Amino acid sequence: MEFGFNEAQNEVRELSRKMLTELVTAENLSRFDEYSEERFDRDLWAQLATAGLLGVAIDEKWGGMGFGFTELALLLEEAGRTIAPAPLLSCLVSSALPLQEFGSQALCERLLPGVASGELILTAALMEPGNENPAAPSTRAEPTGDADYRLFGSVTCVPFATQADYVLVAAQTTGGVIVCLVGKESDACICSPLRVSTYEPQYRMDMDGVFVPADRILAGPSEGARVMQWIAQRTIAATCAHQTGVVDQSMRMTASYTSERQQFGVPVATFQAVGHRAANCFIDVECLRLTTYQAVSLLSSDSEASIEVAIAKIWAGDVGHRVSYASQHMHGGMGIDRDYPLWRYCLWARQNELMLGSSSSMLAELGERIAAGEAFCA
Amino acid sequence: MKVEFTKPQLALRTELREYFDQLMTPELRQECAAAVGEGGGPLWREALRRLGRDGWIGLGWPVEQGGRGLTPIEQFIFVEEIMRAGYPFPFLTTESVGPQLAEHGNEWQRDELVPRILAGDLLVSIGYSEPGAGTDLAALKTTATREGDEWVINGQKMWTSLAHFCDYTWLAVRTDPNAAKKHKGISIFLVPNSDPGWSATPVHTLGGVRTNATYYDNIRLSEKHLVGELNQGWKLITGQLNRERLSLVNVGPTSQLFNEVTRWAQQSTCDRDGTTLIEQPWVRMNLAKVRTGLEALKLLCYKQAWAMTEGSLDMADASAAKVYGSEYFIEAYRLLGEVIGQASTINSLSAKDSVLNGRIESLFRTASIITFGGGTNEIQRDIIAAAGLWMPRAAR
Repeated sequence: MEFGFNEAQNEVRELSRKMLTELVTAENLSRFDEYSEERFDRDLWAQLATAGLLGVAIDEKWGGMGFGFTELALLLEEAGRTIAPAPLLSCLVSSALPLQEFGSQALCERLLPGVASGELILTAALMEPGNENPAAPSTRAEPTGDADYRLFGSVTCVPFATQADYVLVAAQTTGGVIVCLVGKESDACICSPLRVSTYEPQYRMDMDGVFVPADRILAGPSEGARVMQWIAQRTIAATCAHQTGVVDQSMRMTASYTSERQQFGVPVATFQAVGHRAANCFIDVECLRLTTYQAVSLLSSDSEASIEVAIAKIWAGDVGHRVSYASQHMHGGMGIDRDYPLWRYCLWARQNELMLGSSSSMLAELGERIAAGEAFCA
Repeated sequence: MKVEFTKPQLALRTELREYFDQLMTPELRQECAAAVGEGGGPLWREALRRLGRDGWIGLGWPVEQGGRGLTPIEQFIFVEEIMRAGYPFPFLTTESVGPQLAEHGNEWQRDELVPRILAGDLLVSIGYSEPGAGTDLAALKTTATREGDEWVINGQKMWTSLAHFCDYTWLAVRTDPNAAKKHKGISIFLVPNSDPGWSATPVHTLGGVRTNATYYDNIRLSEKHLVGELNQGWKLITGQLNRERLSLVNVGPTSQLFNEVTRWAQQSTCDRDGTTLIEQPWVRMNLAKVRTGLEALKLLCYKQAWAMTEGSLDMADASAAKVYGSEYFIEAYRLLGEVIGQASTINSLSAKDSVLNGRIESLFRTASIITFGGGTNEIQRDIIAAAGLWMPRAAR
């Protein structure tokens, strides 16, 4: 039982925090409000690549640092603390990780060095309209030729779909689900931009016979569903890490603001009603952090962690909601004033709350596991 | 970062479970049930001495203090398992007063009393609160005044739990009435409960648990009964409370209860449609909420045990665990009680129809103690805001 970080983890954490807090300023972020610019800071991306952080969990033979999922999750936590405008989750977690784990040697060799150097962007489609279960897509894959496929169907809320070179997509076919990388070369794939709360570039993709060659299949029908669960678990855990950064920063902003803000001749933080609500946030954030670290730690050693991941996501949803509104409230009008940086954090707390399973849906899932006798306390 | 027990730690847990299965005989269980989870009976005492003989009490203590030299994490596993087994473990003595005496006590306390604590042979109650001093503990009025070579103790304490079967009271008294700040004039004495000037009257509580009002009437003590330095008692009090808070929110019993209620719901028929209760969505939801909250509490506790091995126990974290745990228990017992339904109000003395031996019925009545006991949650939240978030405190 070790809650401290080792040397590599400390280095990744400190380097990420230093770079992101320096490079992602409130002024910088305001460029992307209301989609006035594409919310992707490519200079930041290049600098993260130069520092080696994009390859933090990519093997050294593909140009990465060769660390694991824990180090990657710590980078995501820092990205949450600064709400960095970059596809760290969708590229590094949801697609590069499974490519490295399940992709062929040739495919890894072709793509991963580009991810680590920042020149190649990957993303993943984990949601369909009306379907939030990534392992059970209704998108269809029809075999064509020897071992190629054509995809038919729609996915939505795909982050950075048009910015990415390849989109990881799951599709139902005879005998199961396949997981593959869809390229941008096809006319049979139409991306329509969505407008979402965070201003993150997200798209709906309509696929009408998109061609996928055999060499871009990550998992065949017998393995695809399991691979998608693998991806979902890591994406959820990394989202929880991102949420930890988001709410920790919201809370600390609130503590500072209420310590400065004077009413009735004293800082408002000295009122117990204020201090205690902030203390509740502190407890909440600690619960989220610890359940997240547990899930991340188990996934890092490839242990079974589905219960722990679900529990972390329940906390991420609840804590995101509670800390977001508490922070706004304790800031008074400043919390919603767009000239003060808090409001953008509230948007991200909301996105993370609802991504890949709300608290209620996760509780229902956990309830099923409990009923089946699969979630007893050790 | 590795948020998992090591193999030896898991093996220790298994060993302890087997050990406690043997220790908790039906007769001992019955005696403990009659004492409403407090202990104090002859079989309970015998079991405590056996724990001492078998070297369990000081498992995580340093060898030079008479322990086995494992870490606070192993110590925590031990406490979790013993509480899960349903043995009313006197953790105030073993987990908070004992380590404080081993660290700050004089020769007599270290060489004579501490070994007896580790042997399961000596029990200490805690005398802090008074009729006029609770949350504002530093306002306490019980005094120790020097007369020649002796200290003379006079005053009254409230909520001196377990005192009626303890050997000593760890007593906070005023030794300097003129100190510039009132908490600078406080010292700790170990008062023998056998002294003719010592008396207790029972206070019966909602949970059926007995606590006490205790009285100190011209008790004359030699210098060796003073713990630590004169007028430096406040530090000992806060140190003791930090350790106590950790013990208050142990997850062992609730893990066990969650498992048992789940099994019960898997086997019980729902009156609405004849399916098992566990098929009901609201039952699953209640259990899922309890399970989710429990996981966080477990990790809050383990993190503190880990922090103690690193010597970096954080004040805000300790308070956070206490607030969260105490409020979680209340909610958990409600959610689990709802699953059982009205039958959860039938207590263990009923010949028929009580569920899980009426445990929820009893827990519902005892749960409120720790939201204010061990330092009320309002003060804990003040500590969290100040120590964890650097927010300024109101003048008091």
